[in-house]
Amino acid sequence: MSHTATHEDHSAEVKKEVTKVTIILSVLTIIELILGFYMMGIEAAGTRLLIKGTIVILMLAKAFYIVAYFMHLKHEVKNLIMTVCVPLCIFFWFITAFLIDGNSFRNLRNTYDPHFKEQSTIKVEAKEAKHEEKEAKESKEEKKEGLKLDAPRTTD
Amino acid sequence: MSTTTTATTTKLWGGGKSPFDVEYGKLMMWYFLMSDALTFGAFLISYGTIRFSTNGWPDPNKVFKSYPFASEGVNAPLVFVSIMTFILIVSSVTMVLAVQAGKEMKKKAVAINLILTIIGGIAFLSCQAWEWNHLHSEGAWWGMNPFLNADGSASSTNFTNYFFTITGFHGFHVLSGVVINIIMLIMTLTDQFEKRGHYLMIEKAGLYWHFVDLVWVFVFTCFYLI
Amino acid sequence: MSNEAVLHAHSGAHDGHEDHSHEHHHQSFISTYVFSQDHKMIAKQFLITGMVWAVLGGFMSVLFRMQLGYPDANFPWLETILGKWAKGGHITPEAYYALVTTHGTVLVFFVLTAGLSGTFANFLIPLQIGARDMASPFMNMLSYWFFFAASIVMLSSIFVETGPFSGGWTAYPPLSALGDASPGSKSGMDLWIVSMALFVVSSLLGGLNYIATILNMRTKGMSMTRLPLTIWALFFTAVLGVLSFPVLFSGFILLIFDRNFGTSFYLSDIFINGVGAMPNEGGSAILYQHLFWFLGHPEVYIILLPAMGMVSEILSINSRKPIFGYMAMIGSLFAIAILAFLVWAHHMFVTGLNPLLGSVFVLLTLLIAVPSAIKVFNWLTTLWKGNIRFTPGMLFAIGFVSLFISGGLTGIWLGNSALDIHLHDTYFVVAHFHIVMGVASMFGMFAGIYHWFPKMYGKYLNNTLAYIHFWVTMAGAYMIFWPMHYQGLAGMPRRYYDFSIWESFKQFQGLNQFITIVALIVFAVQILFLFNFFYSIFKGKKVTTQNPWEANTLEWTAPINPGHGNWPGEIPEVYRWAYDYGKDGVDFIPQTTPVGADESVEH
Repeated sequence: MSHTATHEDHSAEVKKEVTKVTIILSVLTIIELILGFYMMGIEAAGTRLLIKGTIVILMLAKAFYIVAYFMHLKHEVKNLIMTVCVPLCIFFWFITAFLIDGNSFRNLRNTYDPHFKEQSTIKVEAKEAKHEEKEAKESKEEKKEGLKLDAPRTTD
Repeated sequence: MSTTTTATTTKLWGGGKSPFDVEYGKLMMWYFLMSDALTFGAFLISYGTIRFSTNGWPDPNKVFKSYPFASEGVNAPLVFVSIMTFILIVSSVTMVLAVQAGKEMKKKAVAINLILTIIGGIAFLSCQAWEWNHLHSEGAWWGMNPFLNADGSASSTNFTNYFFTITGFHGFHVLSGVVINIIMLIMTLTDQFEKRGHYLMIEKAGLYWHFVDLVWVFVFTCFYLI
Repeated sequence: MSNEAVLHAHSGAHDGHEDHSHEHHHQSFISTYVFSQDHKMIAKQFLITGMVWAVLGGFMSVLFRMQLGYPDANFPWLETILGKWAKGGHITPEAYYALVTTHGTVLVFFVLTAGLSGTFANFLIPLQIGARDMASPFMNMLSYWFFFAASIVMLSSIFVETGPFSGGWTAYPPLSALGDASPGSKSGMDLWIVSMALFVVSSLLGGLNYIATILNMRTKGMSMTRLPLTIWALFFTAVLGVLSFPVLFSGFILLIFDRNFGTSFYLSDIFINGVGAMPNEGGSAILYQHLFWFLGHPEVYIILLPAMGMVSEILSINSRKPIFGYMAMIGSLFAIAILAFLVWAHHMFVTGLNPLLGSVFVLLTLLIAVPSAIKVFNWLTTLWKGNIRFTPGMLFAIGFVSLFISGGLTGIWLGNSALDIHLHDTYFVVAHFHIVMGVASMFGMFAGIYHWFPKMYGKYLNNTLAYIHFWVTMAGAYMIFWPMHYQGLAGMPRRYYDFSIWESFKQFQGLNQFITIVALIVFAVQILFLFNFFYSIFKGKKVTTQNPWEANTLEWTAPINPGHGNWPGEIPEVYRWAYDYGKDGVDFIPQTTPVGADESVEH
């Protein structure tokens, strides 16, 4: 960390970069929020999905600016950038496989678990929510006989 | 590849020095953050998996719609959480400035920016505490979910379960970040870095702090926006 | 800092004494043997703690093998040691499940992860790359003590009233998530989670240190492609650990909430007799399995890769030939490390996993056969026409290759989701993973211990005892696990308490007895090894030459009993790769020898 003549220039440069990134991050956040507000009035599932996708892309852009400039990764040696970024590629398969199987699990339950499906179609009046929930649980107790665990055995 | 590049590559990796031109502590901090990224990743992906395997889900805009000192029936979705987000972004900016000041060996600037960062962190934690308290007063907690799905059907408790677990885990990280920054501040004020001749430790604390900010970007999107 | 090599010295309390490490300075008993920051002492601590656990875990397997081999017999001595868990000399079902679970957890995590990579990563990384110590000796010490704490908590779980956790080492919910599900799911499970959480911290601290050390602290001239394969293997092991353990950690945190705070991350539709319907709704038990196996599969390679690395090194040294296909070996290690993260759901083919997704997992799983086969053929071609020295370490290394082939081939069967419908949860699986990951890695560990014992303690192990140890263990391993393939193909399920009540499995009674008897013999021989190990530390033949195996790597250029700092004076500089055996008619050329003018071109 030597003090050189170019030090002040460098310092000013960094400050400029920080200001730029702060503005970018703020603008991205504001766009996200606008999209969020805009989405409230929309019912169509396709449009909502499109907006959600846009928000995710904006999120990734924000993540890029934080990592690259605030965490200074962009100014590191290329090999360090690679060793940090390449292993994180496992997230692609991590996310894909988990979400596909989550979705598949919902389909399985909707197909083979009538109670599960029925429960998600019953509309609840907001104020009676808790009461109805209790009722649903009671009726469930009667309906379902499967999936029983053995009685807990006490050791004494 | 040209011969010059090959030559520098061999030199970089030839042993006797760090191939990345960084000291080991920073390297470890980076790899620790990758590890931590997988912890948070696993949490958020679990949340996504459960959401995908459930038929309905509450609308965040109907849940997170209040702010401190608001009247009872206020409907202001996204307002409070955007304040929290900006607090964290600003505290990240002050942290960058602290790290930069450290590189320039400006003790006073380091201290001032660290104090601002700590204030930002505490402000964020206070916001979170208020929000948790508010939700708790509405009957939400681990294992308790007073909110209905967006389509009006009964919701499973996993909405609140994941919300409290993940924001709690993030809040815990913010808290440790604040503690680390306070330690850094004390070390700065007692001239420990001046004696060492470098402020590299601030840089590592900075990495951690930015990571906390980074995680919030994901948590914010996953819980409040989509 | 210690290594002249390292940029930007860090300063702190602990490197003061490294700077003048080659000066004589007195250290107290505590700082030498207990809270030591010397990587060699920490390695020995890991090794001996691992051995204690290996004995305990192995003894547990003997106990439940007694039940399987002699389901009707009574052994009064069992009641003497197990008390109420073996009333009348007969192991109770609860005790049986507890033993199976603890055996699995202990062997996988404490012996083959901490005991294997903890020992050899700590011991070999600084010595073979030419560093005075790890990047952070203090964190290294913490890593051991977190492991020690995890050990104590796990050990204490054996003694709680309701017994240790008994739902299998994978700890699937609901057995792990509901205290009412079984006796072992009560405080035994709490202690199990705490212990595993401490273990994750330990492995993270260790792993970060190994990675930073290997990347940053190589001595002059030690480029990545001059590293011995042990170091490459340990490097990938550490990377796997750092990236996969946190996922398990998250899974455990969610499990803790399910257990204690009324959440239902993993719970849905649960009824317990006498308790009724649980209020926990909407979770997915399969989610836990995904999270668990996202660690669980890389964990298999965390166990196996260090053994592979050490075996490569030992095979090359004792064949007096360069390792065949050095770059291919690194490439296949890398490929295995990547694939390790992509195949976890092959443990879950029959959970109701989406079949389409399952077929992708089949493809990715079978791809592992490629790098594995590359490694096997490279080992065989290293041996080919070699001038083989059958030292005990070499025998165990060859045994490893044999076991890896036998166990790996059955992996190709199990990787098919269609075959897995029949084979899952049978003794076929038990045979597969015990051979390929359990026994093979134990063999790698034994090979490492026999090979590096002279460096660790400055003494030789007794060869006669070592040969007995090898041949009995080798024959025993096959006699125990080979028959299990047949049992598994016949549909015999794993983890069952008593097969004599099943008409279709009665025919295996004799075979089960045979396996139990062999298991007893093999266990006895391991005690012989332990005797050899501890006897030789004190009374073994002294090592008199610096390089007893005539090896090329750097650890043999250090003094016979290196002090803290490893090399007196300068750290040696490296001029060549680690495998110049039989080059230009010279038997071996250590890495520190400069390249001669008339030498043929480097590999």
